Amino acid sequence: MAEPELLLDSNIRLWVVLPIVFITFLVGVIRHYVSILLQSDKKLTLEQVSDSQVLIRSRILRENGKYIPKQSFLMRKFYFNNQEDGFFKNTKRKVVPPSPMTDPSMLTDMMKGNVTNVLPMILIGGWINWTFSGFVTTKVPFPLTLRFKPMLQQGIELLSLDASWVSSASWYFLNVFGLRSMYSLILGQDNGADQSRIMQEQMSGAAMAMPADTNKAFKAEWEALELTDHQWALENIEEELMSRELDLDGMFSKELPMGIF
Amino acid sequence: MASVSEMYDVTWEEMRDKLRKWREDNHRNSEQIVDVGEELINEHASKLGDDIWIIYEQVMIAALDCSRDDLAWTCLQELKRQFPGSQRVKRLAGMRLEALEKYEDANKQYDSILQDDPTNTAARKRKISILKAQGKSAEAIRELNEYLEQFVGDQEAWHELSELYINEHDYGKAAFCLEELMMTNPHNHLYCEQYAEVKYTQGGLENLELSRKYFAQALKLNNRNMRALFGLYMSASHIAASPKVNATVKKANVKYATWATNQINRAYQLAGRGTKENKCSVKAVEEMLESITMS
Repeated sequence: MAEPELLLDSNIRLWVVLPIVFITFLVGVIRHYVSILLQSDKKLTLEQVSDSQVLIRSRILRENGKYIPKQSFLMRKFYFNNQEDGFFKNTKRKVVPPSPMTDPSMLTDMMKGNVTNVLPMILIGGWINWTFSGFVTTKVPFPLTLRFKPMLQQGIELLSLDASWVSSASWYFLNVFGLRSMYSLILGQDNGADQSRIMQEQMSGAAMAMPADTNKAFKAEWEALELTDHQWALENIEEELMSRELDLDGMFSKELPMGIF
Repeated sequence: MASVSEMYDVTWEEMRDKLRKWREDNHRNSEQIVDVGEELINEHASKLGDDIWIIYEQVMIAALDCSRDDLAWTCLQELKRQFPGSQRVKRLAGMRLEALEKYEDANKQYDSILQDDPTNTAARKRKISILKAQGKSAEAIRELNEYLEQFVGDQEAWHELSELYINEHDYGKAAFCLEELMMTNPHNHLYCEQYAEVKYTQGGLENLELSRKYFAQALKLNNRNMRALFGLYMSASHIAASPKVNATVKKANVKYATWATNQINRAYQLAGRGTKENKCSVKAVEEMLESITMS
């Protein structure tokens, strides 16, 4: 079916497409700096720091235990996993699952997150819809079904218009998500203007418990450590070493560094 | 006295980059840092921008090492002015008190930091080094053990503890600390070599075998580690010379020792390549090796 090619006024490009890009970008940058200002300090307790380091040590023991003698490995494994007084068996931490109601700092964090991210998006989206309404802004390069029409063509009451032609509001939303890579280029990786990352965090945050669920982490480490065996990496080290001559190239170079520079 | 830039004909940017390199590599060449840093601070402070604060910190610690209290005081004042109430600056103030041997005041300073923030590792470590400076090694060991119970991942602390134990001749515990370091840094040949030396010092057939293995590991990680090469030779010859080993073990160890001898000779041949002095040292090494070799 031959679709009639619409020729859009080039003024649209100049006065609609580009301004929306600029607005989105600038709002993103402002959001980033505002989020930095509103950042609250996360204070860790001594116990949390200590526990995280213990878990790291146990993981290192599992991974690199093969570099220390068998006796030492068993000694450490015993310390962690012993039935009566092993660290992982015995240490129970009081875990208070921080629900948003009870934990005031989480509540304010959530509010701040909402204010800085969702609210501006809604406000500006609405404003753009109101200002730049009544005309088609751009065409998406792939064909869309008719179901997308009411969503993407807000304010344009044309039944026969192809669903690929979209209004300015949808161009705005496209920008919000599309400029993410621009933000990482200009603001560095961990920037506060990254919408989709924040939404991802919110979704995954609901799925996993707070990191303070150390009991579960301890249990997992205990199991993993029980399964680990000691394969000494130095079993045949002499044979491996002496199979060839030592590589002494460049050991004695003629130049010695003189002075500071 | 000519300034650094005149002597070496370098610009201030090169000096600043050199300081950064030293900072990142954790060099402790305090006299050089003081020379370069002092000139940067006095002549080029305005051009450095925000870099100047970290340079103040670096130069201050170097100045304390060289007993340049005047320079240290200046740096501290600038930092205090810019960052009032900062714990990092408080720690530097404490270090200055330590350098002046005012250990009571320094302790009070660190205690106040710890009151504000119990997880501050720097202050706790400084308190332990005060104990070490005062010669109270038993207490220092005890405090360091407690510290490590809570901060198991602090490698600097493990290394310090191993050094303290070696000074107390408690080689078993020193070996434990070095094992921690070897696990977290499996590719660092220096830890393997230190561990092997501790095991060698402990003595006994089993420990000698372990030490030989770890000297070999150090060599495998870095073929040019001469100390490990000599260590391998020594431990292998000692095992071979011991009356308790059976013939196969003895034969194997003699083989290892011979291999090590050849490598040592090769290395000494390479060094200097036939210059007059070198010929004497090569000969000396050969004689030494022959005198220790068992048939």
